[in-house]
Amino acid sequence: MTTPVLEIRNLHARIEEREILKGVNLIIPPGEVHAIMGRNGSGKSTLSYVLAGKEDYEVTEGEILLNGENILEMEPDERAAAGLFLAFQYPIEIPGVATMTFLKAAINAQRKARGEGELTTPEFMRLVKEAGSQLNIDNDMLKRPLNVGFSGGEKKRAEIMQMALLKPSLAVLDETDSGLDIDALQVVSKGVNALRDGQRSMLVITHYQRLLNHIVPDVVHVFADGRIVESGDKELALKLEAEGYANYGGEAA
Amino acid sequence: MRPNFPVRLGAAEQALIDQLKSAGADQAAERISVAGLPTRRVESYHYTDLKMLLRAIPALGQPANEASAPALRVPGAFNLMIANGVIQNASTAPAGVIVGKAQGGVLTTRDDVLVHVNNGLAKEALTLTLENSVDPVIQVERRIEGEAAHVADALKVFVADGASAVILETFSGSDAAHVGNHATYMALGKNAVVTHITLDLSARGVSHFATNEYHLGDGAKLRTLIIHAGAGLSRTHLFPHMGGAEAHADVTGLNLVSEGQHADITMETSHAVPHTSSQPLFKSIARGRSKAVVQGKLVVARDAQKTDAKFMHQGLMLSDEAEILSKPELEIYADDVVCGHGSTCGMLDEDSLFYLLSRGIPKAEAETMLVRGFIAELLDPVEDEALNEALQGVVDGWLLGQ
Ligand SMILES: Nc1ncnc2c1ncn2[C@@H]1O[C@H](COP(=O)(O)OP(=O)(O)OP(=O)(O)O)[C@@H](O)[C@H]1O
Ligand SMILES: [Mg+2]
Repeated sequence: MTTPVLEIRNLHARIEEREILKGVNLIIPPGEVHAIMGRNGSGKSTLSYVLAGKEDYEVTEGEILLNGENILEMEPDERAAAGLFLAFQYPIEIPGVATMTFLKAAINAQRKARGEGELTTPEFMRLVKEAGSQLNIDNDMLKRPLNVGFSGGEKKRAEIMQMALLKPSLAVLDETDSGLDIDALQVVSKGVNALRDGQRSMLVITHYQRLLNHIVPDVVHVFADGRIVESGDKELALKLEAEGYANYGGEAA
Repeated sequence: MRPNFPVRLGAAEQALIDQLKSAGADQAAERISVAGLPTRRVESYHYTDLKMLLRAIPALGQPANEASAPALRVPGAFNLMIANGVIQNASTAPAGVIVGKAQGGVLTTRDDVLVHVNNGLAKEALTLTLENSVDPVIQVERRIEGEAAHVADALKVFVADGASAVILETFSGSDAAHVGNHATYMALGKNAVVTHITLDLSARGVSHFATNEYHLGDGAKLRTLIIHAGAGLSRTHLFPHMGGAEAHADVTGLNLVSEGQHADITMETSHAVPHTSSQPLFKSIARGRSKAVVQGKLVVARDAQKTDAKFMHQGLMLSDEAEILSKPELEIYADDVVCGHGSTCGMLDEDSLFYLLSRGIPKAEAETMLVRGFIAELLDPVEDEALNEALQGVVDGWLLGQ
């Protein structure tokens, strides 16, 4: 069997004494797209943060293997260099840091960590231009400070552009579809699909089946109360859309 | 009121009195013997108690016969130098600049001990008359060289109606327990546009004091950028005087302090006539056990209707032991004005840091990016590329030099 891109074994995590993840198990083989759906507050973003290595969360049990390597002891920047990318549900605005400066620092830091040389400025500019045009991101946006004053949809497109530039082996997209208009949803989905190459894997967190018409998942998981409670093919998303989460215990939000 | 006990004079005060007397500044000497150096009970010195902080005054500086390396090189700048209070010969001035000398101090007399001392001890002032738009950056280097010395020097700048210039003052010199007392007087004519940057890069053992006085005529535009990045003890006292309608001042400054340092920017802006505006914006970054102070006072005269002024101080703490102190004051005698003040203080934002890390940027680099971002608002308006780069270099150097 080939090594899965992501393997999560019995993951428990808590924040400020409160257990949020209560035994997550998940395997994503190379090239597959898995979707996670679940109630507000069920712990989906928490899972994405724990994967990315946010400090606030304490992992009390379990393992996370990225391409067979345990990443729990790694810093967030090391995880990124190892091939993990998180598209944030709420991308952070950073005044004073130019988007271009940031993109260049990120690309070169990852190249350096992998023992590759830094990009020259023209090479970098060409890559950014390419990625930008695919996602309808114009130069003016890139001249602004990172995410500052970007509309909700622009922020999401900028996240996908970063993903396109950083070429991760595992992309976790946390509600990338929320806040997107119909056209932007198409653009973003196209951007994401363009990165599907049979090797790269994705974990797509969403509330809406609609996104999954564009980014067709191999597996759909239902997340409830800190763990995956059911998995199925893409039909499961349709069933959820029709029936809601009532069958998965707990109270409706 | 406290009973008027004669104050106990310390060694520093006694030395100042002797030096002032020897220079014939008897009144200033008398003032110190009666009041002593200001303590924290004096409002404008509340966080910078000179009696505590200034324990010794070295001998008056003698003409220098050695020189340290330039503190900052700005390609293309026109350079002038005052070393140990003595004005040095300069190369040919660029078009529109008249360089000269004048006797004595340049500051308007006011009840401030450092002003008294400067006016009493500064023997000659460098004068600059700017007749039109001056292209190159004008750099005035103020040095204190050799053995520990007490030096008072002065610069007086007249900017003609409609003229514009970028003036950079750098403070540096040898590594000794100098006390520098520097004065700058600047008069901006109608619609003159000036950027005035002062950059302290003195050695750690130095106590650096500067007093800057600005007089703005109708429609004049001033931008200041005061940077404290060197001396163990530094204080710059700013007195912008908004004396002409439609005058505007962006009074900005940056304290960079590390272990053991104390930096203070104190501003008193007076809006004297109707329709003037000012935007004082200060930032402090503190690490180790250090102290950064910004005091900002806005005084709006009874006639100065439609004044628009907002004071802001933002602090960034890079250690738990650092102290960042803010004191805004409003003294408003007019009734139709928009004035305000605000201050914030915090550590680097955790979420921002995580965002950068999550993109693979290592922690140290991410922190540097955020700190640079924090002060970008102050450096970005410096349009001259070479100067902007040089200042960015100073900040980067500070960030690296833990
Ligand atoms: N700092 C915190 N302290 C305590 N509880 C927290 C903290 N951060 C998150 N939580 C809780 O953890 C739970 C899971 O939150 P999470 O953001 O992972 O949910 P989610 O499934 O992503 O929800 P949504 O669909 O609304 O985005 C919530 O109940 C939330 O209130
Ligand atoms: Mg969420």
